[in-house]
Amino acid sequence: MQETPAANSGIKGLLTALVAGFLVYSTLAVEAATFTPKNKATAIKEGASLFRANCSPCHGLGARGGGRGPDLTSGRWTHGSTDSDIFRTITQGVPGTEMPANGFEDSEVWSIIAYLRSLAPPKRHAVSGDAAKGKEIFSGEAGCSGCHMVNGSGGLLGPDLSRVAAARSVAYLIESIRSPDKELSTGMLDPNNHYGLPLVYDTVTVVTAGGSKITGIARNEDTFSVQLLGADQKLHLFLTKDVKEVIHERKSLMPRYPEETLPASQLQDLIAYLETLRGREDNGARAGK
Amino acid sequence: MKRTLLVAFLLTASAGLRSQVTPQRLLDAAREPQNWLTYSGRYSGWRYSTLNQIDTGNASRLTLQWAFQVGDLGQFETTPLVVDGVLYGTGQNDRAFALDARTGRAIWRYQRNLPEKLQPCCGMVNRGFAMLGGRVFMATLDAHVIALDAKTGNLLWDVTAADYRKAYTFTVAPLAVKNEIIVGVSGGEYGVRGFIDAYDAATGRRLWRFETVPGPGQPGHETWAGDSWETGGAPAWITGTYDPDLNLIYWPTGNPSPSNYGGERGGDNLYSNSMLALDADTGKLKWYFQFTPHDLYDYDATQVPILLDTDWEGHPRKLLVQANRNGFFYVLDRTDGKFLFAKAFGDVTWAKGIDPQGKPIVNTGLRSSPEGTRVCPGALGLTNWYSPSYSPQTRLLYVATSTECDIFTSSPQAYRAGHDFLGSVYVPDPVARPTGALKALDVLTGTEKWSFPYFSNPNGGALSTSGGVVFAGDSDGNFIALDAKTGRDLWHVQLGAAVYSTAITFEVDGKQYVVVPVGSALFAFALPQP
Repeated sequence: MQETPAANSGIKGLLTALVAGFLVYSTLAVEAATFTPKNKATAIKEGASLFRANCSPCHGLGARGGGRGPDLTSGRWTHGSTDSDIFRTITQGVPGTEMPANGFEDSEVWSIIAYLRSLAPPKRHAVSGDAAKGKEIFSGEAGCSGCHMVNGSGGLLGPDLSRVAAARSVAYLIESIRSPDKELSTGMLDPNNHYGLPLVYDTVTVVTAGGSKITGIARNEDTFSVQLLGADQKLHLFLTKDVKEVIHERKSLMPRYPEETLPASQLQDLIAYLETLRGREDNGARAGK
Repeated sequence: MKRTLLVAFLLTASAGLRSQVTPQRLLDAAREPQNWLTYSGRYSGWRYSTLNQIDTGNASRLTLQWAFQVGDLGQFETTPLVVDGVLYGTGQNDRAFALDARTGRAIWRYQRNLPEKLQPCCGMVNRGFAMLGGRVFMATLDAHVIALDAKTGNLLWDVTAADYRKAYTFTVAPLAVKNEIIVGVSGGEYGVRGFIDAYDAATGRRLWRFETVPGPGQPGHETWAGDSWETGGAPAWITGTYDPDLNLIYWPTGNPSPSNYGGERGGDNLYSNSMLALDADTGKLKWYFQFTPHDLYDYDATQVPILLDTDWEGHPRKLLVQANRNGFFYVLDRTDGKFLFAKAFGDVTWAKGIDPQGKPIVNTGLRSSPEGTRVCPGALGLTNWYSPSYSPQTRLLYVATSTECDIFTSSPQAYRAGHDFLGSVYVPDPVARPTGALKALDVLTGTEKWSFPYFSNPNGGALSTSGGVVFAGDSDGNFIALDAKTGRDLWHVQLGAAVYSTAITFEVDGKQYVVVPVGSALFAFALPQP
């Protein structure tokens, strides 16, 4: 963010005094004071540009969540919602997650924060369900826990959902339950990561030399081998030369849950339960243990 | 006694002279296949060796001889040089080393003291040394060129080429020609103004500079709207090749800046994405050929140009061939830059073809947009900087390729010195998972003869030998030996990290070695009992 004449006005001094009274970090106070209406628009514009180039590969072009990064418009800030919290998250990253530390200049970080603050929150999805009933559905008739782990118990095939509410919007959760294949086609990869991550949660079927088929999730794969976590939740390790075919199904192994199998009221209960999953306080992630 | 001493002295002196890499030895590099004297092995850019101890019949018995740990993380992109039993390499964060090429034991190590904030677009990488006399030369991430003593690694001279605070960096392996050390700058993602420099190997004095974006009054300046030339990019980050008969250096250039938004740089944007033919003594432009005018897709032309003397339409001709990142395989006359032929060597949508003058017939419906437009190849190209290889034995060009198509978005961006200057981003087309291949193309027609599939996009190139073997590495950590004629997998080994370089080969004490940098280590392979 550029210094402007307005930033040197009496308003700045007043704001500085007011803000400094409330905030611990004096540098933050000075920076915060420069968010005058006049340069805010410039900051948002710059922040949008920086976000596009650096953050959108994970968080999506409009910051509404991508293949790896959470929706940043939900108003839900897992790692702190104040400007200084977000500043720290951007500059230092979040140990134990895929969020890296970033080498922006301070003014650039403030621009990104200004941009994020300017984004309209997504349409609210009122959650009217009963979390306790949702937990029963999760572990019971819907069979979710057969594949998804929560706080150390559950199945192995699907993503661990222990902190899903911290990372995903309600709209995303509903979409994932009703149409689990959709995310596979909207995943974004970091263009600067040339390592070529394998497609996670893509269903792979290996046809063995004897003709039997084993379906599961490819934990890894290359030209010569496949490391498959089968639907039987066992690891199956193949050499490509020993098998007939490796088929990428381009669909999720997760079944669809349409209205007929999961009525709206049950979906609401399930969402209410998922909304309680924000990770355990003692997981050491913050301290980077 | 006296006589013995004299003989001993003469032997020592000749050994000393032998370790000097003279300009003549570089010209004749093909005659000493036991060594690897330049980035591409020889001035013609072939990355081909006449060593044939390892062949299609025995490659399956290749065995690890030694490994050398650089001691740093990041992409390991060096091409080592080998001179008379000593291997010279550079590593991540501008580390460097000399090794006993038989054992992998270090003779010296060097690490440049780099400033804290550097802006290389794509990692703290370096692609290797040039060697001349008893010195090795390195272009550094903080935009200096340095000379080290080959025996000790001691710093001999250190000159500043450009200001790293404005994101000028070097990642290139220099090219030694006559008494010159030639380098090209990186920084096309940061709005630098590109250049190619030559330095006096003895003193470090700059001999000439060719600016790849013409300034006011220079021809080509009119191809940049307004002041856009000042931040026009056109870096030169891959080592060129050299024709001693024509005394021309062929050096490719990269993307205009900002790479994905062209709204403020109307025009063809010379000499971005071009092949430049420069007089080796003066740096004067003899001719240029621009592959991708007014690029919006980051199609750097930074692929090693291959020089070839052969019949073209019944007459002997001096050719330059290049499989370009933009998806087309090109044949040019390297005496004058005349366009002779082009053909797509994979899926290409940004252009419908190449016209008889060599200009792309651009698919204007696929201009990048704020919302995103799917274009093939993607920004990483149908191929990229990793080296191709040409085998005169098969007359095939071996090129690693990618199937990635990208969704390109485009939006204006204000230039700020030292900051990225891309004009938005691209993301891989999510519909099809990108894969890759090592392709063998007919060197004159670009016709595909075989294709070996890679699971992921490649970042490593190819080496071919007269043993009929092509060595290549994929991004899944496999180092692979293929039959040069058929593409059959002869041998492969998992080395644990994406291959970001290209193998070299050399011979010491009658044993042929193949060395490849992977992850944080150099791995040397040979036959157990040749």
